[in-house]
Amino acid sequence: MNKSLFRPVWRILASRALPPVVISMFLLLYIGIAFDNEDALMALIDIVGSNVMLVSLFALIPLNRVVRLLEEFRDLLTRRQLLRGKKEAVLESLFDETVKIDGAGSRFSGIERRLANSGYRTVAGEDSLVAWRGISTFPARALFLVASAFLFCGVLISLNGRVTYRGTVIEGEKLPTSTGEGGIVERIVLAKSTGRFMAKTLTMAVASPEHGGADRIFGLYPPARDNGAFVYPRYLGVGLFFRFSAPDMPGGYETHAILSIYPPGKEASEEIPGSPYRIIFSLVPPDDGSDPYMTGRMSFLFKLLKGKDVVLTGKAPAGGEFSQEGYSLSFPDARRLVITDFIRDPGVYLIWSSMMLFIVAGCIWAPVKIFSPRREMLFQKGLDGCRAWSRAEGRRRAHAGVFHEALDALEPVRHL
Amino acid sequence: MVLAYKLIPLLVAWAGIMLVLARGVSGRRFVAAVAGSGGFACGVAGASALLHFFQGDAPFAFVKMLLGVIFLLLWTVSVAVAYCRPDHDAVAALRERWSNSKLFAAVTASLAGVTAGVVCACCFAGCQKPWLVFPCLAAGAAVIAVAVLVLERFLPDAVVVSPAGMAAVVSALLFFCSSSSPRLDLFAPLTMKMMKFAHDFVHQFFESMLIPDHMFFTSTTWDIIGLLFGNGVGFWAALFIWFTPIILVIIAVTLEPLPLVGTLRQGAQRRTRLAAALRMRRLRLATPVIALVISGSAVYESRFPKVEYWDPKPLVVSATPSGEIIIADKGEIELNDGKLHKYLFKQGGNEARFFIIATLAGKLTAVLDACSICKPDGYGQTEGVVICYYCKTLIPLETVGKPGGCNPVPLPFSVKSDGVHIDSITLVNLWNDTVQSTTRVKKGAR
Repeated sequence: MNKSLFRPVWRILASRALPPVVISMFLLLYIGIAFDNEDALMALIDIVGSNVMLVSLFALIPLNRVVRLLEEFRDLLTRRQLLRGKKEAVLESLFDETVKIDGAGSRFSGIERRLANSGYRTVAGEDSLVAWRGISTFPARALFLVASAFLFCGVLISLNGRVTYRGTVIEGEKLPTSTGEGGIVERIVLAKSTGRFMAKTLTMAVASPEHGGADRIFGLYPPARDNGAFVYPRYLGVGLFFRFSAPDMPGGYETHAILSIYPPGKEASEEIPGSPYRIIFSLVPPDDGSDPYMTGRMSFLFKLLKGKDVVLTGKAPAGGEFSQEGYSLSFPDARRLVITDFIRDPGVYLIWSSMMLFIVAGCIWAPVKIFSPRREMLFQKGLDGCRAWSRAEGRRRAHAGVFHEALDALEPVRHL
Repeated sequence: MVLAYKLIPLLVAWAGIMLVLARGVSGRRFVAAVAGSGGFACGVAGASALLHFFQGDAPFAFVKMLLGVIFLLLWTVSVAVAYCRPDHDAVAALRERWSNSKLFAAVTASLAGVTAGVVCACCFAGCQKPWLVFPCLAAGAAVIAVAVLVLERFLPDAVVVSPAGMAAVVSALLFFCSSSSPRLDLFAPLTMKMMKFAHDFVHQFFESMLIPDHMFFTSTTWDIIGLLFGNGVGFWAALFIWFTPIILVIIAVTLEPLPLVGTLRQGAQRRTRLAAALRMRRLRLATPVIALVISGSAVYESRFPKVEYWDPKPLVVSATPSGEIIIADKGEIELNDGKLHKYLFKQGGNEARFFIIATLAGKLTAVLDACSICKPDGYGQTEGVVICYYCKTLIPLETVGKPGGCNPVPLPFSVKSDGVHIDSITLVNLWNDTVQSTTRVKKGAR
């Protein structure tokens, strides 16, 4: 790219206005979608995920953060070099205020003392004087920029690269990974928790021969990984093996049903294929108030429907049987199950990292900005007088007052 | 009397708009007055044409869209002033030249005039003598514009209005006018949209961050998270969106760089120059602060409208032995009278509230007195719309009976010779499915 094109592109990429402009564009798009779509956010996510132009537009935000970080780091280095006297030419844009005083006196020693009394550290050279106090907020700013770059990169990757596979983890069965290479699920344990945020914990223990026979444990949060995919438990349920026979179905029917019937009272329906029958199952809430999923003592309430008519209702425990008027329903086996998403999404790491970085950046920025903001001055003598530069990251007015009074002290003798 | 009660605040707001425009484009007062008055007259004419040729909610939807565009323009202006500091002399000079040009004065004043005219005319939709009211409205606006032009000269020079401050006050006054009519109000639909957005965003965030389902959380944690799903979050988020552009203008004025006084070698001179700059800055803050107050009034109008809603006490009805509820369409109550008729059905421990109303096309429709989103506080009726009391969303009458959003949930029914027939089991099941699952059912209407 030639320089005449590179510079304006770089300026646009480095502009502080770029992120709000891009976000505003997406906001407008959201408003447009919301006019005739109830699920505007989902629709927006779908559109952004499938449109190269919109992905490119969104990618400008993390790019801007990186470019800004480079720009601000370069400015910091340049300013450091200036203040250490290692660089001659001063860029005015690096400072808040630039003052040129023609024919000014050469009494840096006077202002050095004055600035030292005001709490500034000073270094005087042959033709220059540098004064500063406080700590720069650049580390916090850099962390903030990195965090926001991570956040938007993470969102972008999640929008475009998330692959989800839903499987049912059942006790005694193989872990249903997309590759089909999971170990046997030894047990699923739902237990009460005394934690501040979580009332219950869920652990899925999976036998793992390649790990020396030790069980691999998959919990709730942060989600554990299996073969690079997050194991994200969604809903609890029961894997119920039931046998059913009716007067007009003497041959009977048996199947392993996956029923999403947790918590107790939640209903799930199972069709009997090739017949007008349908059975609606739910877990019976135990009288002692215990949780059947935790204790494993499950009892099932069922409603047998023939077409739209309820022909039978009753309940039976796991391992039990119910018979009435020629109908028979038995539950030889019931196991805990967890409907689980296996998610491959590297964007999640970036978003988690960004959260941590935002917190660290905030923890650095606030005390530095409040208690000890960076303030800098540079005075250089030339043949025709003196030039001075000043910059403050906080308490600008107080700093400007000290700077201006220091300049007064540089005046030619006739003014004093 | 009622007309005057409605008219006075609108004309006062128009006077405010003209005053701010005249001061904001001080070199182009006459252009602003002519363009503003002309725009107002065009707006009134356009609105009367819209109301004449289009039935139902279409004209109001169009005006609300216009107001929405103005709101977005205000956002654009505020973000621009907050981010674009006049560092470059060339940019500052260009901005200065544009804001002092005739074209700027004409465009701004005519846009404000058209919108104010349209809004004022829509506030009088359905009045008895539109052929008299609308021309009087336009003439009154022109007289006010001339009067303001004269009076503005007597304002002290210290009263300064920046272009961004002018945009803030004019927009705030337009929103204040629109909030006086529930059908033009922007804040209530904004609240509803924000509530939906917050709900979707939290849900999506949980999914993206792989956060477990609510059944694993302690009740305290879930109660806190649950705040994000309530009506309150929609209200506060809408307030944030509503006030942010004006607050951005205030921040931009507050952060305007002070003049560089480093070249002055007298401390007293420096302090004088800085004090003058600070004084000017405070004066420039006056207009956005006034805009903030007016916007607050618009929100108040939206939350506590002076409109009386038709909200009859529900009549208790029962079902026949075959389980049918029959509501006679003639007799003591005329179902086709255009009013909302509420009923309460009780059976055993179950109860369900519903209403029957004739749409603008004259067809009867039966719906639950609840929607599938909000707490079932019920609906009231006014000016061709029904309002959801919980989230203050207005539902045009022509869409009552259609599912979706905050519309009342449609109820299967049939119209026979003896009236409207509703199956009681369907009614109770529908009520239970859509409303009682929230476990927040109130007895009777609001």
